[in-house]
Amino acid sequence: MKATRLKLAAIATIVALLGAVPVWAHHAFAAEFDVNKPVTLKGTMTKWDMVNPHSWFHVDVKGPDGKVVEWMVEGGSPNTLIRLGVTKYTIKPGTELTVEGYQAKEGSNKAVGRNFILPDGTRLFLSLSGAVPGGAPDK
Amino acid sequence: MKHRSLVVLSIVALLATVVFSASLIAGQQRSAQPAAQPAAQPRPAAATPARPATQTAAKPYVVPKTVDGQPDLQGYWGNGTYTPLERPQNVTKEFYTEEEYKTVLKTRASGEDEQTTPGTTADVHYDFTQFALDTSQSPIPLNLRTSLIIDPPNGRLPARVGAQAGAGGGRGAGPGGGGGRGAGGGAAAAPAGGGRGAAPGGGGGANNQYDSIQNMPIGSRCIIMGGSGPPLMDAGYNSVYQIVQGKDQVMIVTEMIHDVRIIPIGDRPLPPEQLKQWIGMSRGHYEGNTLVVETTNFNGRRPFQGAGQNLRITERFTRVADDKIDYTFTATDETTWVSPWTASVPLTKEKGPIFEFACHETNYGPANILAGARATEKAAADAARK
Repeated sequence: MKATRLKLAAIATIVALLGAVPVWAHHAFAAEFDVNKPVTLKGTMTKWDMVNPHSWFHVDVKGPDGKVVEWMVEGGSPNTLIRLGVTKYTIKPGTELTVEGYQAKEGSNKAVGRNFILPDGTRLFLSLSGAVPGGAPDK
Repeated sequence: MKHRSLVVLSIVALLATVVFSASLIAGQQRSAQPAAQPAAQPRPAAATPARPATQTAAKPYVVPKTVDGQPDLQGYWGNGTYTPLERPQNVTKEFYTEEEYKTVLKTRASGEDEQTTPGTTADVHYDFTQFALDTSQSPIPLNLRTSLIIDPPNGRLPARVGAQAGAGGGRGAGPGGGGGRGAGGGAAAAPAGGGRGAAPGGGGGANNQYDSIQNMPIGSRCIIMGGSGPPLMDAGYNSVYQIVQGKDQVMIVTEMIHDVRIIPIGDRPLPPEQLKQWIGMSRGHYEGNTLVVETTNFNGRRPFQGAGQNLRITERFTRVADDKIDYTFTATDETTWVSPWTASVPLTKEKGPIFEFACHETNYGPANILAGARATEKAAADAARK
């Protein structure tokens, strides 16, 4: 039993020494967005562009002055989500979202979304609560 | 105190590694099996099991046929994997035990779940797990191999032509293309045109890659990505293919980024040598139940593990179960490697259909990156003037 534990620990160690799997990027996100400009956007999602190579979420964010500003937030490719049953109806326009991310280097209202958080605190898609097992229905 | 703990942890980790390596060697000595012994020459797919042949022989699989009587390979297939291209230096056997494999799998999957630290460059990215893009959220075929390379027997790339003795293998990812996360880490695991992060390649050097669109990596520009093949390697995510067979042609559609390979079957001659393509030019034929595809005429602008225009790839597709194709490829380039090498990358049944990619049409990233680079330059110039 002890030997097994040691072996398992050793496997974990060897895997760790191989190096953690790094995040893969289609392009250099740190060249597009500014690590020194973290943003937290709280607003209403008006549109989700389920496009490649990356999704874009359109979020209306109300500023302290009450003025609504549209932000575009870059996310991941939607293909695997679609294969898992997520559809354009899964996240409906009007969904309240908090996005933690980083603003575009050129200063426009674009950001990469590090975390997409729903009002109940869960992360977008992680529970796949809106997914339809077996495929994407057309409704 | 913290430092001391780290030192202790490091020592424990190193000791554990030594113990583990010793146990692997011991395990190999104890359980050496004829089926796991490597052959001296590249072997056909049917002879390259993804697990050692320790189980009782099952009933032979009857390969279904197409209406034209060819072995039916049609359908949707994926090749996501955590198995590295090259065997890690500290692993000395060809196969893991199932227990070891499960642990490796679990560790890899939890590594993908790791959160990055806010305020760091690594954090400037969306979370892979939120978009189900981590390998563990797609079907992964059981593969007890410790490396995708099955020949040479050491599971590592042959020495480079002209390299000093003992300096072979161990190279990092190819020069990029920004098109693939690779085969799960380890040394030199990136696929063709792959490269972790957004390595330059196919474009200008890293120093000026944001000067113009032409200088940016070919993957970032949606020209071609790692999974396109040949050979078919893990694209990192969306690593899904559709195979369609006709009497005289085979088509392989790659989801990422929707490349289509059309492979004439039969003895049609290859176009002249001077005609080059990104994915080369292929000709196929059947050997029993195996589809064999030979590809040459690469344009060399997407080097595969260092090989360019002189690369030749021989792929072998053999259906061994309703949900599995044994896929192997042999890479040959006398100007790059001292010998050919062969890898086995099992294809497992995937849920279709293939989804469109339309990478060019919606690829806003390069424009944003170039605009960001100009803004940074302007800010620097403004600061210099003050």
